[in-house]
Amino acid sequence: MSILAKDPSRFAETRIDDETVIMSLDSGDFFSLTGTAQSIWRLLDGTRDRAAILAELAAEYDAPEAEMASDLDSFLAGLRAAGLLAAS
Amino acid sequence: MPQAALALSDPHPAVALLAHEMRVRRGKVPRGIGGHAVARDQFHITGESYLMRAENGIAVHYRRGDGLTLEAPDDADPRDVALWLNGSVYAAVAALNGLLPIHASAVAWNGRVHAFSGPPGAGKSTLAAGLGAEGLPLFCDDTLILDVSGAGPIQCLPGHKRLKLWPEGMALAGATAGEQVASDYPKHFAEPAAGAVAEVLPLAEILFLEPGDRPELLAITPAERIARLQDDHYTARLFEAAAALPRAERFAQLAGIAARIPMRRFLRPFDPGRFAEGRGFLAIAIRQDAPS
Repeated sequence: MSILAKDPSRFAETRIDDETVIMSLDSGDFFSLTGTAQSIWRLLDGTRDRAAILAELAAEYDAPEAEMASDLDSFLAGLRAAGLLAAS
Repeated sequence: MPQAALALSDPHPAVALLAHEMRVRRGKVPRGIGGHAVARDQFHITGESYLMRAENGIAVHYRRGDGLTLEAPDDADPRDVALWLNGSVYAAVAALNGLLPIHASAVAWNGRVHAFSGPPGAGKSTLAAGLGAEGLPLFCDDTLILDVSGAGPIQCLPGHKRLKLWPEGMALAGATAGEQVASDYPKHFAEPAAGAVAEVLPLAEILFLEPGDRPELLAITPAERIARLQDDHYTARLFEAAAALPRAERFAQLAGIAARIPMRRFLRPFDPGRFAEGRGFLAIAIRQDAPS
């Protein structure tokens, strides 16, 4: 599997209270990340593939990987659609 | 007595700066600034200057450090001139000097400022005036100037213009109507029932006014706080144009401000017959506020 990473040239981010806020530099759209989305965003640091992220997520939330997989895949699809993932 | 004398002669630096920059001289104003021609009923702002030309022939030019130049027809109504100087021009001068104008009215309580924002017609001025009848003094009407510099609490500059209300707002707020604001602008000036505060105070929170079935205060997420700051009426656009920052830096700036400003939505029935219900609910909520 390929390594997954954010594309830092496409967004700006900040953390306010318990929320991570991302702005697409292309569209100006805001994204609010909490919970699993926030964890996945943190794990997209350019050192892990999908399987590694899923394993860490399952451990962090003490849940079966099968349960976390749909969350992960839909979030990754959203990031791709917004152009926030680096080409792998 | 020495302390009072010191306070009178030593205003907050941002207040002193604005007073200095708002000095007005009469003269011809340029047709455009920054290579941008400005037609009647338009304005333009650069990093250093601002030019507005009103439909009625009034025009104002500002350059940072130089003050204002006013051009007006001989028969211009002084009330019209005052409306422009105290409104859009004041907000632009504030923005060009690093201050953040917000489209909001506000009251003061317990040494802090409670501001109400929303689109035109949302009831900002009427609510501020109505809270005066509940004993809460007015802080500003329509434009709230924030000093966001420094790391401490965001400071609010006291209002510089008189409370203006539509006739129906005057009746709702129980205020007494003064003279009409301008010949072609049927708002009237009103004296705030609990007086006005004229000192720089920290901001408690901004409430966004929205219609609802019953009075309630609802939380606003951090992302929405940034978006609301960005969407604030014309004043935020002035600030953005004055700062002329790339999108990423603009985001960082707004995020930094949003992180320091508590915001909530204030829902209440928009029906005039239920105005007192929302006003009373909010007066209690504000009086319960204590600095954290």
